[in-house]
Amino acid sequence: MKTLRRILGPIVGLGLLVLLLFGVDRLFPPYYHHLFVLFGVNIILTVSLNITNGFTGLFSLGHGGLMLAAGYASAYLTMPVWWKAAHLSLPSWLTNVHWPLFPALIVGGLVATLFGFVLTAPSFRLKGHYFMLMTLGFNIIMVSVGENLIAFTNGAKGMCPIPTYTNLWWVFGIVAFLVYFVLRLKRSKLGRAMIAVGKDQTLAETMGISASRAKMAAFAISSFFTGVGGVLLVHVIGNLFPTHFGLDIVFDVVMMLIIGGMGSVTGSILGAAIVTGFVELLSPIQEGFTLFGFAFPRMFGLVQLLFAVALILILIFRPYGIMGERELSLRSLGNAARFVGRLIRPRRSVA
Amino acid sequence: MSFQYVVQQILNALAWGSMLGLMAVGYTLLYGVLGLVNFAQGEIFMVGAFSAYLAMALGNAPFWVGLFAAVGGAVIAGVILERVAFRPVRKAGGITLFITSLAVSIAIKNLYIMGLTNKIRPFKTPAFLRTVHDWHGLLIYNNTIAIVAVTLVITVALLLFINRTKTGIAMRAVAYDRETAELMGVNTNRVIVIAFIIASALAAIAGVFWGVRFGSVQPTMGYVPVISAFIAAVLGGVGNIAGAMVGGFIIGIGETLFVAFLPSELIGLRPVFVWAVLFVLLLFKPSGLFPANIKPS
Repeated sequence: MKTLRRILGPIVGLGLLVLLLFGVDRLFPPYYHHLFVLFGVNIILTVSLNITNGFTGLFSLGHGGLMLAAGYASAYLTMPVWWKAAHLSLPSWLTNVHWPLFPALIVGGLVATLFGFVLTAPSFRLKGHYFMLMTLGFNIIMVSVGENLIAFTNGAKGMCPIPTYTNLWWVFGIVAFLVYFVLRLKRSKLGRAMIAVGKDQTLAETMGISASRAKMAAFAISSFFTGVGGVLLVHVIGNLFPTHFGLDIVFDVVMMLIIGGMGSVTGSILGAAIVTGFVELLSPIQEGFTLFGFAFPRMFGLVQLLFAVALILILIFRPYGIMGERELSLRSLGNAARFVGRLIRPRRSVA
Repeated sequence: MSFQYVVQQILNALAWGSMLGLMAVGYTLLYGVLGLVNFAQGEIFMVGAFSAYLAMALGNAPFWVGLFAAVGGAVIAGVILERVAFRPVRKAGGITLFITSLAVSIAIKNLYIMGLTNKIRPFKTPAFLRTVHDWHGLLIYNNTIAIVAVTLVITVALLLFINRTKTGIAMRAVAYDRETAELMGVNTNRVIVIAFIIASALAAIAGVFWGVRFGSVQPTMGYVPVISAFIAAVLGGVGNIAGAMVGGFIIGIGETLFVAFLPSELIGLRPVFVWAVLFVLLLFKPSGLFPANIKPS
């Protein structure tokens, strides 16, 4: 029974996902299509951030820089040759390549891993907020280098006609793989080592776990998939501006992570859904609207303001997010349903 | 690149170093008593500058009143933030506090952008601060002299307060070991509020200095000094007020000289300098240049 469930579970899940995607693909207008793609990219970013920030307790604020590196690497590979020849001074072998999405994804992921290794491996011995600051600094340096190395990045003017290769199937194919992979990772020896290091490094080391190996592995996996997410994002919006990968995007992903619950993969999906949905709901309000004949002016910054306030409230009242470290499973859903049922069912009246 | 050019750059950097030093003292105090890396300090700085701007532009108040308005506005903001945002998450630890401060910073910044739009606004400066002296070919601004003098006076006063008064000693005790201080009858809540008041007032003064020096204010201005000031605080040794001040001057002058010697098309690389300092510092001497006031673990 147990093995049957273990084999059937993912297959049924995958089947449901494919059905859902077919539905979105065929029935909904293109706007929702775009929204769903963004949702999928956010899942990838959040789940991969979860591996470092949630499991291993390495609170990174530098993942925007990794996305940026991967974005540039993939843009070099997929952009039209004439544009690269006209605006950048790249070596000729790089100018003349014009690749499809898949190899660009892999290269982007590997480049992000490389950057993650080179620039954050020395900072592993830092603890707590010193590590956070180091990664934050890494992010700011990456953005500032991207803005100033005009020969290779076209500076703040950005890289503009990036082919919009990303579609629903690519994104959710990777989402399905990543979620399955990370759920398995959480149960594996390596994943348990990561979580143990995150809880108490000294204790974990006493038990014979190599903390540096666990941290390295966590950062490598996380960087790779963050890079993949960055590549997908760049190929959704069709352009690449270094400022887009600054503190704001990092903050958004951290939001999704904390809302969902650090350490919970299904929580990350929930968080990504909530944040993506609310941004889309609130954006028109920010543009100004008319209610009962009273015209509200445009209020830039409203979405960010509301999110920041929401984040503070969550940190105060529910510091472990919606899911905490638990995972949503059929069994926990059943328990929840039974609990709700018990609440709703009227009590037998006495008298 | 003459000698005179370098001296001129250092003179110009003194004002910037003073602002960073004042902000760094705020960081060092809050980190000491609370373990909080307060990135909202940059927004308090902005709130201070804007309070002065609003008092002077809308209320037509004189400069001195503007200065008081700045300190008042920032202190009120700081105390409210402490009560509403930081106190409820205090027990959750340093990382949660830090994320809260990031969220607070984004909230305040966007509140001001919503209310006032992200325009650059001219900051009125009294005439006597705008005078320039020419001393053997070196240009010395009156505002540089005023800023450095005020900063030095504040530093001395603060050092006396921390070292000689009962509250100051309580503050150092809390920074060193909060639980023991509590056992000795120190009211930690009160000490933390006082630390917030001092840090906010210093940030507000730095904000007014910014307005005087650069002649304009903007809701996103808090982003500029916040990181440099934090690095100055780490450089000076956490909890060490004189160290934070010296760290501010070192970072301020270093940043200015770095930009001055850089070819003009690479001026945007300015943030790289401070972060490179931080990288080197944290990797080789995480305790800073001067002794820190933390319990050795």
